[in-house]
Amino acid sequence: MDVVGRILKILEGKVSNYKVINSGNVIIDVRAEDLVDVVRIITEELGGIYSVIVGNDARRVDGTFHNIYVFSLDSLKTYLLVRVRLSPEEPSVQSITSVVKGANWGEREVRDLLGINVLNHPDPRRLVLPDGWPDNVNPLRKEFNYQTRPQLNCSTQYTPIRSEDVVALPYGPYHPLLHEPEYFELHIKGETVVGVEYRGFHVHRGIEKLGESRLTYNQIPFVAERICGICGFVHNVCYCQAIEGASGIEVPERALYIRSLILEIERLHSHLLWLGVACHILGFDTGFMHAWRIREPIMNLAEALTGNRKNYGLNLVGGVRRDVSKDSVGKVIKILKNVRDEYSRFIKGLTALKEVVKRLEGSGILPKAEAVSYGVVGPVARASGLKRDVRVDHPYAAYKDVSFKVPTYSGCDNMSRLMVRVEEVYESMSIIEQLLDRLPGGPILAENAEVPEYREGFSSVEAPRGEDVHYVLTGKYSKVYRWKVRAPTYNNIPALNVMLHECPLSDAPLTIASIDPCFSCTDRLIVVDVRSGKRFKVGLKALAKGWRP
Amino acid sequence: MSRLSWVKTALEVGVVTKKYPYEDVEVPEGFRGLPEFDAVKCIGCTSCANVCTPDAIRVVEDVGSGVRRLEYRVGKCIFCGRCAEVCPVSAITISKEFELAYKGEVVHVIELRYARCSVCGKPFTTSKHLTHVEGKLSEVIRENVDLCPDCKRRVSINSIIQSAGAVR
Repeated sequence: MDVVGRILKILEGKVSNYKVINSGNVIIDVRAEDLVDVVRIITEELGGIYSVIVGNDARRVDGTFHNIYVFSLDSLKTYLLVRVRLSPEEPSVQSITSVVKGANWGEREVRDLLGINVLNHPDPRRLVLPDGWPDNVNPLRKEFNYQTRPQLNCSTQYTPIRSEDVVALPYGPYHPLLHEPEYFELHIKGETVVGVEYRGFHVHRGIEKLGESRLTYNQIPFVAERICGICGFVHNVCYCQAIEGASGIEVPERALYIRSLILEIERLHSHLLWLGVACHILGFDTGFMHAWRIREPIMNLAEALTGNRKNYGLNLVGGVRRDVSKDSVGKVIKILKNVRDEYSRFIKGLTALKEVVKRLEGSGILPKAEAVSYGVVGPVARASGLKRDVRVDHPYAAYKDVSFKVPTYSGCDNMSRLMVRVEEVYESMSIIEQLLDRLPGGPILAENAEVPEYREGFSSVEAPRGEDVHYVLTGKYSKVYRWKVRAPTYNNIPALNVMLHECPLSDAPLTIASIDPCFSCTDRLIVVDVRSGKRFKVGLKALAKGWRP
Repeated sequence: MSRLSWVKTALEVGVVTKKYPYEDVEVPEGFRGLPEFDAVKCIGCTSCANVCTPDAIRVVEDVGSGVRRLEYRVGKCIFCGRCAEVCPVSAITISKEFELAYKGEVVHVIELRYARCSVCGKPFTTSKHLTHVEGKLSEVIRENVDLCPDCKRRVSINSIIQSAGAVR
């Protein structure tokens, strides 16, 4: 039986309409009252793993609000998009967080940005919008102009934890061991972390709104790339694929190969960067220096191939802008050989250091069942025994033509997460060699890249940090009607609640770093778990006077 | 592998950092640096401004002075090179220049004189753009090229009506 038939049979009587979109992904329409049941069936019987919730103010298209719940059916190699249509006056929907924990953030995000009320949510606090943002002003609604800057009400008060034996330890938003502005409130009992509260979105830049309001199809790739300073090319490719999928544009094969090639070069530099940062957090700065030294030739390679070390500016809808010359193919092979030798030596030295290994082994445990429920992605999932990799589960670009291993570990700890990345570096190098070996000739940009109105496209890319997804609904006048981005870290941060629980304070920075968090990416959207202790309010004045818990 | 191997690697590799800016740094062929604008070649068609994502290239219609002004702001540029890609007369080249930190705002300006409509006298595009377009058109269509869009519409409709023999 085909995929659609199987989905429809299992969800018999609950699907009012369905549509197959690009890459065989399926959109089904269900009634809002059936949603929780449908989600339960998808996760339990179809093995669906939660990916993202896309909220859409589609009142100008069909007069309703849409909430699209996306599940990855890894075994069927497809994404299932479950759409509920909600009333334009008072959109509200039941929470599915009781079934999939990962949906916690997604539901709060649609509430903040689109004003879609979520009923029975376990933690209905704000996620994306700052506390002082006025009520009932929802920036992603179409009537909200992107240049509006509402008056913030700054009297909102911070409510720290207060208990006899639990102390709240602020970690961030500025901290020597955190490289981006996010705030973790670690609740510690003695030396043990018993809870963590995360507050992020300090650098939410409203990129989706900007894309929907001001930019045209071929301008968005350059902004999408700036979502992340490390793996920006991922967003760039993912956006283009979604638009190409929505419009049925055939991308020339050579362009697909070039995209895969640069994606792997990006993974190499990103993993080497992370290895360096992990060494630095462990206090092993020698390792940090060496990792970044080994990374440098990769950066030069990217510069030679694309014209820049980062922000490659390579993609347009329909293909790529710059070809790979014969000369540079030789150069890539030569540099890779040197990097592989140096890297092997580095890894051998690193894993021989007992103090490094002991810090990593057994810390930051994320059991497999929790990994599934939170819908974690990338190396975090693979270190918890989940064999998930978008390149294999939902092949894109040129990945169907190359063979590679998906390193999977079942240690569920920081060591496993390190080893997954260590091995992926070797796999990436092998992928690059295979791609260059088989690089087909021909054009690099599709001749006729027309984008029709009101078509949906969904696309995913395996970023160095995991599955990155983009959803687009095309619109009029060469502009997207809705562009939704979900970066991998968005799904991984909530799982820190589990990883940090009962872990010694000294392991917390490393564990947080072990998901290779990328906050700017995530901040186009937050997680919380407060365990024990009463709460009371502390005013701004008390804080200014140097209040301590 | 002994702990000393780290020292050995460090000694073998030596110093890898460069004394930039006291030492020059080479950038590869094809590096995307500062775009350079050729004011002589530029026809003022505004294609570059249309594709510019960060609005680094802006068009100012200064009707009072009779010029269309193209302003390029280095501080806003993301060096994607799309402007050079779409320029119909290759007036923009991407240089390798990357040392671009200046105090204050740097604006490169190109001014181009307007062409005026031969009927109503309204400026509608630059005269260089008009000459460029004229060279590309066949003789038949070239006839009303110096008219602004409004006048052209009126003149065309009138001529169709007359050729159809209608009475005004």
